[in-house]
Amino acid sequence: MLSVLIWAPILGALVVAVLPKKLPAGNVRFVSLFIAGLVFLWNLFILLKFDVINPGMQLTEYLPWNETLGLNYQLGADGLSILMLVLNSFLTWIAIYSSSKQTERPRLFYSLILLISGGVAGAFAAQNLLLFFLFYEFELIPFYLLISIWGGERRAYAGIKFLIYTAVSGALILASFLGIVWLTGAKSFAMDTISVQGLSSGLQLLLLVGVVIGFGIKIPLVPFHTWLPDAYVEASAPIAILLGGVLAKLGTYGLLRFGLGLFPDAWSVIAPTLAIWGAASAVYGTVTAVAQKDIKRMVAYSSVGHMGYILLAAAASTPLALVGAVAQMVSHGLILAMLFHLVGVVEAKAGTRELDQLNGLMSPIRGLPLTSALLVLGGMASAGIPGMTGFVAEFIVFQGSFAVFPIPTLMCVVATGLTAVYFVILLNRTCFGKLDNNLAYYPRTLWSEKIPGLILAALIIYLGFQPNNLVRWSEPTTTAMVAAIPAIEKTVTPQVAMK
Amino acid sequence: MVLTPEKQTTKLPPSTHEFADIIHRLEAGGSMLPDTPENLMQIIGIYKAYAVPMDFYWRDLLYIAEQVFLDPFPFFKYFISDEYLQRHNHYAGDDADLRIWRGPATAHPELLEFMEKGETTKMPKLLHHLLHDRVNMEFAEACMRAMLWHRHMYAPVNQFDAYLDSDEYRANADRAIKAYFKRNPLMMGMYKLFPEMFIEQCRQMSYYSNLGLFWEVMAPVFFEMSDIYDEGGFKGVPDAMNFLVNGIFAIAGRPIYHHVYVDGECYEVIPKSKGFTWLYEAALPYVEAVFYRTAPFRGTKSYNAQAGQVPDKQTDFHYGILYADVFPVGTAGIPPTLLMQDMLHFLPKYLKDYYLQHCRGDEDILIQLGITFQRSMYNVTSAVIQALRTALLYPLDDPNPKHLQANREFFEMQIGRFCRPEYGMRDAARLRQIQSQEYR
Repeated sequence: MLSVLIWAPILGALVVAVLPKKLPAGNVRFVSLFIAGLVFLWNLFILLKFDVINPGMQLTEYLPWNETLGLNYQLGADGLSILMLVLNSFLTWIAIYSSSKQTERPRLFYSLILLISGGVAGAFAAQNLLLFFLFYEFELIPFYLLISIWGGERRAYAGIKFLIYTAVSGALILASFLGIVWLTGAKSFAMDTISVQGLSSGLQLLLLVGVVIGFGIKIPLVPFHTWLPDAYVEASAPIAILLGGVLAKLGTYGLLRFGLGLFPDAWSVIAPTLAIWGAASAVYGTVTAVAQKDIKRMVAYSSVGHMGYILLAAAASTPLALVGAVAQMVSHGLILAMLFHLVGVVEAKAGTRELDQLNGLMSPIRGLPLTSALLVLGGMASAGIPGMTGFVAEFIVFQGSFAVFPIPTLMCVVATGLTAVYFVILLNRTCFGKLDNNLAYYPRTLWSEKIPGLILAALIIYLGFQPNNLVRWSEPTTTAMVAAIPAIEKTVTPQVAMK
Repeated sequence: MVLTPEKQTTKLPPSTHEFADIIHRLEAGGSMLPDTPENLMQIIGIYKAYAVPMDFYWRDLLYIAEQVFLDPFPFFKYFISDEYLQRHNHYAGDDADLRIWRGPATAHPELLEFMEKGETTKMPKLLHHLLHDRVNMEFAEACMRAMLWHRHMYAPVNQFDAYLDSDEYRANADRAIKAYFKRNPLMMGMYKLFPEMFIEQCRQMSYYSNLGLFWEVMAPVFFEMSDIYDEGGFKGVPDAMNFLVNGIFAIAGRPIYHHVYVDGECYEVIPKSKGFTWLYEAALPYVEAVFYRTAPFRGTKSYNAQAGQVPDKQTDFHYGILYADVFPVGTAGIPPTLLMQDMLHFLPKYLKDYYLQHCRGDEDILIQLGITFQRSMYNVTSAVIQALRTALLYPLDDPNPKHLQANREFFEMQIGRFCRPEYGMRDAARLRQIQSQEYR
């Protein structure tokens, strides 16, 4: 069943690639949207089949591939990956929907998006380290091309930077995976056959550091984040949605799956460092966002900040914190997708993303009132205002982490307060104030541009009021993961908190 | 009949004014609005769309001034009686005092049709009212109040204001008030206690009447212009302006008065015999109050007087339609939104089609319409400036250079009203924008 999520978009990409050249871009977009929609519906069907109570791997698939290499086609989904799979297929559909009907070279554009969807689904479902790596690297080139061909003015620079950083990330992860298999003497890359218990603490730490830095680049965490603002800003809105909504989640997912999952002992040793790292990333991301003049860059830096919360929760690794981490991954994916989509609409209509030039977009007739209203909602959700999914996720993260790492948690709480500051700056300058008579000849916003924002807003509010539908999928799995972490750390850390 | 030469060969050196091009255009008998077919089409179309609600405005203003008068609970003042709806315009129809429109004297057929069904469907008047599916008298009242707030304009030529403060007016008002409240001891008692308040309310009613009588003339003038345009009569914007100038002089002497009817008896609060005239006591104050001044706090944005954002003198107020930012948010002056909504119902097809081709079409048609209205009011103001020049100064083709210089100084003074940097008028005035067709 999971294979459909991988191969349907990849086959779809081939179909789109061979569509007649004369077919208008709008029709190519429609075909891609149809394929992505089918994949998303299939994903929902899988969600119905998913046993929420079962913490283990479900819907598993196995196909021998290259026994010599230890590479098998082994798929599965648990509470950690099922929501990521849904998020991936959903945001792919949203990204295609939010793309322009006049996209140049549409067949290549949509093929690459569908390839990414298949690759990311493969990475989330893979239960073999090498298979994961293959899928992990599979989306690299399509992303590079999407940034470099359809990006902004500095797209070439942003594309190369993205390629180099993520290639280094991939190299570190591959090296760590090879190290795990070779040093443990495992005969296969299958995750269920690997145990690092026999390795010394030093080796475990070394391998874990490779995994953390590898995925830390992908997330990205400070100071490995410098590719992010360029890539997010230069990428077109649909690609920024995928970068922030899906690709960054691959990093946090990898951290939880392979860092926490494979190295529970070493994880508990470096957890305090990771917590401080997460808090520093959160504070750095938000403070830098405050200083930005480009609204897309502001949203990009907000992403750096919000990723820090996930690292904090992963470091705390309490049952509640891990549930919060997964919730934050989903929540951040939805909110960031909405913000990037809306910023894309503003840029398309107003012709600028500069805070100093935008003003009065809330103006009811000549402005972009609905886009502005949704931007306000997105800002509120990102700042963790109650009633929206951002609040639920952040609250669970902080609640779950505070007892273990009180100071880093408080730093993250301060960071979330600063999130409100830069969003107030953004909203006040762009949406409010007086619309300039001489500039306000913006084209009308089409329904096709409004619908993605409306759908995402509805989901953000729905999950804010019904958080159970966000957390119940991952709770048994994360509880089981926490159980594998040495108890000693969990008895020490509350004492730290009490001090 | 005022004759304006088509082309003026000026004997003066070029003006050095910031808006020298516009000064030269005025000296050549033109308008502040550039003479383009697109401008002509827009302003005539909007005159027609304005005239239909105006046909209601003047009737209801007179109804309020003469019948509703000082009703302490005037909930139904916009529910005009049939008598006033059918009232014959003094400037149209066979029984007109001075016929300036070939159409009928009764309310315009499009207005009657709209009053029947609104833009929704036929339903009780109260529902139409509450749903704002009606002609918005609030705009007309805001114009009236602007005139009241900016009293003493054009004094001493304008004697209307001075009369409102006279003993004779007080005596007339007193008679009307006592007659109106003769069966209401509570209100009579209030009148004894607070006579000034009632007199001031009566002055406001006199301004209702003043504006009603002003618009009673303007509605048929605009209908006539629309008809002439439809017949291919106007060749350019100056033609339309000159039609207005001629109209102004033709009806300049029409009387401005205020009568109140109580139990069928007429009380002359301001008798016709006082000799107040349409041009000096209504038209000029109206243009000054509504086109130029109005007030800095009528829109959704209020200006802060203590922070120096409002001019010290009322004469320097600049929140009228000539300065208005027609976006409904962040503007001051009389909110144009309601008027735009009124005009929208009566747009000629050619103008609606024109709007649909530009900007966001149907979505921002109110803004486009408001900007056309602004253009048209620059043309009306041009007519007033030319009329004043005709009345007070010299012909445009006068051979005497000193006279031409006097004309120029007059024009420069008028255009200078859009250039006061100390109050930000240069940025506020839309004179520069209307020179371009791209300002929509």
